[in-house]
Amino acid sequence: MTVIEVSRRLGAGLAALALAAGGAGAQDHEIGALFPLSGPNAVYGDVFRAGSDLAVEHVNADGMLSGPMSIAYEDSQGLPQPAVVGMTKLVNVNGVPYTLSAFTGVSKAISSIGARFEVVAVNGGGVGPDLAALGDYFWNVIPLANLEVRAVVPYLVEERGLTEIALVYIDDPLGQAIEAELEAALPGVGGALAGAYSVPTTAQQFSGVAAQIRSSGAEAVYVASYGNQQVQIVKQLRDNGVDVPIVSYSGYAVPDALSLPESDGMILTGQSVAFDSDDPVTQRFVTDFRERNGGDPTAYNVNYYNATLLYAILAAALEADGAEVTGANLLAKRREMGSFDLVGGTVSFQENGTLLFPIQVSTVADGALTPVATVEPD
Amino acid sequence: MLALQLAITGLQTGALYALTAVGFSLIFGSTRIFHFAHGATFVIAAYFFYAVDAAGWGFAAAALASALGAVAFGLAINRLVYRPIQRNAGSFFTVFVASFGAAIVVQNLVGMVFGRGFVSVSTPLSRSVELVPGVYVSPLAWLAILCAAGFFAALQWFLRRTHLGMALRALADDPELVQVFGLDPRRVAAVAFAIGSAIVVPAAIITGATTGLNPAVGHHVMLISLAAAIVGGIGSVTGTMLAGFLLGLAESLSLLVVDSQWTEAVTFAILFVFIIVRPAGILGRRAAH
Repeated sequence: MTVIEVSRRLGAGLAALALAAGGAGAQDHEIGALFPLSGPNAVYGDVFRAGSDLAVEHVNADGMLSGPMSIAYEDSQGLPQPAVVGMTKLVNVNGVPYTLSAFTGVSKAISSIGARFEVVAVNGGGVGPDLAALGDYFWNVIPLANLEVRAVVPYLVEERGLTEIALVYIDDPLGQAIEAELEAALPGVGGALAGAYSVPTTAQQFSGVAAQIRSSGAEAVYVASYGNQQVQIVKQLRDNGVDVPIVSYSGYAVPDALSLPESDGMILTGQSVAFDSDDPVTQRFVTDFRERNGGDPTAYNVNYYNATLLYAILAAALEADGAEVTGANLLAKRREMGSFDLVGGTVSFQENGTLLFPIQVSTVADGALTPVATVEPD
Repeated sequence: MLALQLAITGLQTGALYALTAVGFSLIFGSTRIFHFAHGATFVIAAYFFYAVDAAGWGFAAAALASALGAVAFGLAINRLVYRPIQRNAGSFFTVFVASFGAAIVVQNLVGMVFGRGFVSVSTPLSRSVELVPGVYVSPLAWLAILCAAGFFAALQWFLRRTHLGMALRALADDPELVQVFGLDPRRVAAVAFAIGSAIVVPAAIITGATTGLNPAVGHHVMLISLAAAIVGGIGSVTGTMLAGFLLGLAESLSLLVVDSQWTEAVTFAILFVFIIVRPAGILGRRAAH
């Protein structure tokens, strides 16, 4: 045996030893995310990532898992078709057991893939009520729009005396769900839908709709859209003489929208998160988020931080049990553990895989939200 | 009153569509280049105005920057993208794909520089005032209509009364004839790009103030421009302007009879009707230019 051969064999043996040592307990933890990273909804992708990336940073810094955690981002554009392509890649190529989802249409489109391949999908941004019924492998860490509508309707009618509400809604599952909720909730408290105006997802001109709303005699307007379009709607309603209060849901609570001068005076709903809570998870999140982003977190930042941290908690528990980290095992472990310490406090999932939060009604002033009422979930 | 309100709103929208589409029509009519990146010109003009205005340099400087940006982009894409492709005998489709790609690049660059969210040009001129009970009109609506009329009149004078304008009209039919008269077809084409890009500037500025901007707005602009160019008659500047107003009015007045969901579909229904019934457009080939 020559010196070279000996060296080769020694090297191969050492490499095998190193691999074996590393592979005995360590495992890379990759999860997926289907966020809008381009197109008119890309602003949401930036907001979502600020939360999920911070969670990964914390998980890795704490060594919660046996190996490093990372997120494979796919661009959904906020649309179902690219999202299905992205989800297929995440499941079949990356082999992730857990993925983050956003937007109602996107979430509904990818949920069947998740169910078929037993991959957990966690939504922290879409609020269509249908999202509560997408099967065992689809979870929501955000209160859905039906809760937001049910919270704001009594406030509008009983507290503000606004009974005739017009609705401008995007023609997709979210908008249709909000229309159904308003139609159901308003008569119960003495209100009525003064008019419902659906707009296509690509529409950018709303001056005609503004004229129709003025003619309807509505005392308030509920805007149910998202992305850049919702801001265009609000601006054009104000520019075209609609001076009644404008109401919207948590999708409007992004910095770009809130900072618009025309947003002043709007009434918004969203999940109530106690950022001044004493619990260490919330304190660490708030402190580090402000340090990295130079501003206060929004509910979306919280949701995707929580969704990412939830994976680490479940995966760490599975590793402690010596179990494989698969979608099925993550689901079983979530059911077994019951409650979780996340940002905002200790939370529990409902049977349908949705977290319950109190709903906060706020008004917008100078780009910031001022809470005016908090409604506990039924 | 609702009908009157919608008619005025439609005129404003139509004026913006006309300004945008006429530029595309002029370029396509003269050079036969399917300039899909015309939407990107719109985006550049709008964001240049927004940036300079937001920096506090005032309206005039912002408008100048917007015009310079739009014209520079139009000239650059012609010189650096279209001409090399044509020199290598690239097909119409190759030019179209290159133009489409350039539009995507611009959209992403603008998103990287200015952010991908919504921005708008802040001006009190966008706020409507009540003319008569129930009818609200913003000063920008009148400005849009005036701009469309003024730019169109100037363009018509240029095309009909100047040698360069006549050369532009001749370029699409017979580039060699242009050469015989001592003019360089490439320079004439560059003029088409410069003027076509400049015309989009008022529409971009007014859109920035009325409906706001995002980097992806160029695609919508291009769709409308294409629809107006086809309805008006390919290459016909007058027809395209009329089609712009027609589409704007139809989109707005359709609210009287159909749900707001279908107003955009009305635009394309008109397009289909023209393609089937009158493929040459409002002003057919004989009246082109």
